[in-house]
Amino acid sequence: MNPHPADPLDHPDVRNASAVGFVAGYAASVGLMAIALMVTLQHEMSYAGFVIAIAILAGLALLAQALLMFQLNLSGAQRWKTISLLLVVPLFVLSIGLTGWMFHTLYPRTMLDFMQVQGNGM
Amino acid sequence: MLVHLQGAWTPWLGRLTLSQIPYNSPIVLGAFVFALLMAVPIVALFTYYRRWGYLIREWITTLDHKKIGVMYIIIGLVMLLRGFIDGVMIRTQQLLADGPRSAAHLQAVHGYLPPFHFDQIYSSHGTIMIIFAVTVVLTGFQNIIVPLQIGARDMAFPYLNAVSLWLTAAGAALVMISLFVGDFSHAGWVGIIPLTELPYSPGVGVDYWDWALQLSSLGTTLGALNLITTIVMMRAPGMRWFRMPFFTWATLSTQTIGLTAFPVLGVALALLSCDRYLGTHFYTAGLGGNLMLYTDLFWIWGHPEVYFIILPAWGIMSEVIPTFSEKALFGYTVMVAATLSIAGLSWAVWLHHFFTMGAGPGVNLVFSVSTMLVGIPTGVKVFNWSLTLYRGRLRFETPMLWAIGALFLLLVGGLTGMMLAIPAINYTVHNSVFVVAHFHTMFLVSVFGIFAGLMYWFPKVFGFRLDEHSGRRFFTFFSLGTVFVFAAMYILGLMGMTRRLDYLYDPHWQPLLIIQEFGIFLYCVSVFYFCKMIYVSIRDRAKEAHGQDVWQTSRTLEWMTQTPVPFYNFAVIPVVHGRDAWAMRRDSGLTATSPDQYEDIHLPNNTIVPALLGGLAFGFGFGMVWRIWWLAGFSLLGIIGLVILRSFADDKGFTLKAAMVRRMERNHEDTGIMTDHISPPVAELMLFQ
Repeated sequence: MNPHPADPLDHPDVRNASAVGFVAGYAASVGLMAIALMVTLQHEMSYAGFVIAIAILAGLALLAQALLMFQLNLSGAQRWKTISLLLVVPLFVLSIGLTGWMFHTLYPRTMLDFMQVQGNGM
Repeated sequence: MLVHLQGAWTPWLGRLTLSQIPYNSPIVLGAFVFALLMAVPIVALFTYYRRWGYLIREWITTLDHKKIGVMYIIIGLVMLLRGFIDGVMIRTQQLLADGPRSAAHLQAVHGYLPPFHFDQIYSSHGTIMIIFAVTVVLTGFQNIIVPLQIGARDMAFPYLNAVSLWLTAAGAALVMISLFVGDFSHAGWVGIIPLTELPYSPGVGVDYWDWALQLSSLGTTLGALNLITTIVMMRAPGMRWFRMPFFTWATLSTQTIGLTAFPVLGVALALLSCDRYLGTHFYTAGLGGNLMLYTDLFWIWGHPEVYFIILPAWGIMSEVIPTFSEKALFGYTVMVAATLSIAGLSWAVWLHHFFTMGAGPGVNLVFSVSTMLVGIPTGVKVFNWSLTLYRGRLRFETPMLWAIGALFLLLVGGLTGMMLAIPAINYTVHNSVFVVAHFHTMFLVSVFGIFAGLMYWFPKVFGFRLDEHSGRRFFTFFSLGTVFVFAAMYILGLMGMTRRLDYLYDPHWQPLLIIQEFGIFLYCVSVFYFCKMIYVSIRDRAKEAHGQDVWQTSRTLEWMTQTPVPFYNFAVIPVVHGRDAWAMRRDSGLTATSPDQYEDIHLPNNTIVPALLGGLAFGFGFGMVWRIWWLAGFSLLGIIGLVILRSFADDKGFTLKAAMVRRMERNHEDTGIMTDHISPPVAELMLFQ
């Protein structure tokens, strides 16, 4: 059995946490998602530009959470978290990629004004 | 910002009025009387024997993974009974409402259930059986068995484990209370879109379904996190990856699916909640919404959920079959690889649930092939179980009967699954009861696995065996019921009967519907034998008591410790020298488990906080369902406050001294009873001492 630390707060994983990093990660995530919401509500960008902007904002929010909130790095103490993050990549590709492909073939068959919608940037 | 709803609303009670209690419905009234008849004797017994304190100190506040597992299983079995009654009502309605001349009873035009009530029953049947019965019972098994199989004292996060249980209980309570206060969803267990949107379902039924699923999925996600961490970090010395018992591998695969898939359900339901409460348009057909997105998101979770349910059952079969074949599992490494590959493939097959939606042929082809690929590792498993049986010294005790039954059902369910993986066939039988029969066959593999596990591990947990005589009858009637109900259902599906029908237009289906109903009758008989088995086993528990290894041929570490298992699991953490650690020790004559030296054992204190969090989660869900904003708000603030308060509590657990461990172990060896049994103290009670 692993030796049990007297105080759970002394555990290396807990010690790795940082209050400043947590608050900064939280603030950055909320801020980036608020910007995404405003971009969505304003309806001022073209369809392609809108999709790219939202994707970039989502990526930045993900990075902010990974680096600031969870303090991810490549050290040995963080290896399980790093592996967990890497395991997300194939799932991300499968779920988002296959969903995108499915809708790409579905829309022209089920939504008659699909091309027009894209063209108008709605 | 909130959506304005028609109808009465008051600040104190939200949408809740006296008229929402359906006391004028004879069926609901009957259900209420039945629930009272079940509950009153239990409450009376606890009061008469003054066991409420015991219940709170030893169970409600417990962080012990075994007790938490037992509570999971009890909740799951209660929900299984409720879901079964729903199933009986569905089949009986369809038998009575076949053809234009079918008789009318109670408030129905055909049969005895009006359409709106029938819709709620099939919705609650599916939701309960999948989310609150099978999933919950299997989670219970994993809770109890995994720490024992890997030689750990408890889960990695015992407190979080209790929180998961009580969140699941809160979700189950929401489903149960919807029976007596308001309605349940009429949009199926999958939440058929756009039927779940507010204009089509302005009542509270969909909200009950939504919040019950949200709460339980949160509990399942936290439980998955806990079990994965436990397996990765808490294994006994020498327990290398490929020495782990197979059930533990199955759990690791299952919970990886759970951790990755359940958040998708959470997102899908959160967006639906935004539509229903805030007036957004994620899943509407207009204003930029996309109702097909819901179906996509739901099944991204939904198909991994199928394997979340089936893999632990296969894990149970992989423990039971070797034990009763008296030999090791054939092809252990290949079985592990097959399990992991099924877990991986589970993420690439979801679209076969909506081949008919209209995606391009290339998309359907890819998902068809990926679905068929699942057949390869599954076939490997079937062959490996068969080769484990081959030339084994087979003993057909009840756990083995259930495991063999599951094997046969897997063949039927698997082969019909391969049929449905072909888009051309899928287009033909889509939405027919052929599909319903297929997925029931697969879920019954899980149910058979559950009963195999129940018979197999019950003696380990409680110290006495289940009655074999009633158990065999239970198995026989349940199996016969399965054959009659689902063989007829496959044929009805091929004859064109579609699913979810409250009225059947074709009188030619009558003979097969009668066969189905006969199967349902056999299921009812099997329930009687199940209850008899429990009653007889408890009555004769002294006669059926036994030592640490009841089956004499079991192979894994959980059979090494005392029976019933003490709250600290192992007096001394065992050192593992190979796969099938207990079988190795038994074969080498090293079954004596008394160590030369005992050691102090550190364990967490019991605490009431997880149960309180569950209660507040229920309050939050109930408040959201009825739009009682003060209740939802205070419950949410209570949850946040309690979590913060608990994080500052200076609760470092307690230490059981080595001398006490020695005394308890010696006493157990001499008398077979844990007479010095003590439990961890309740942290909150210690504040007042």
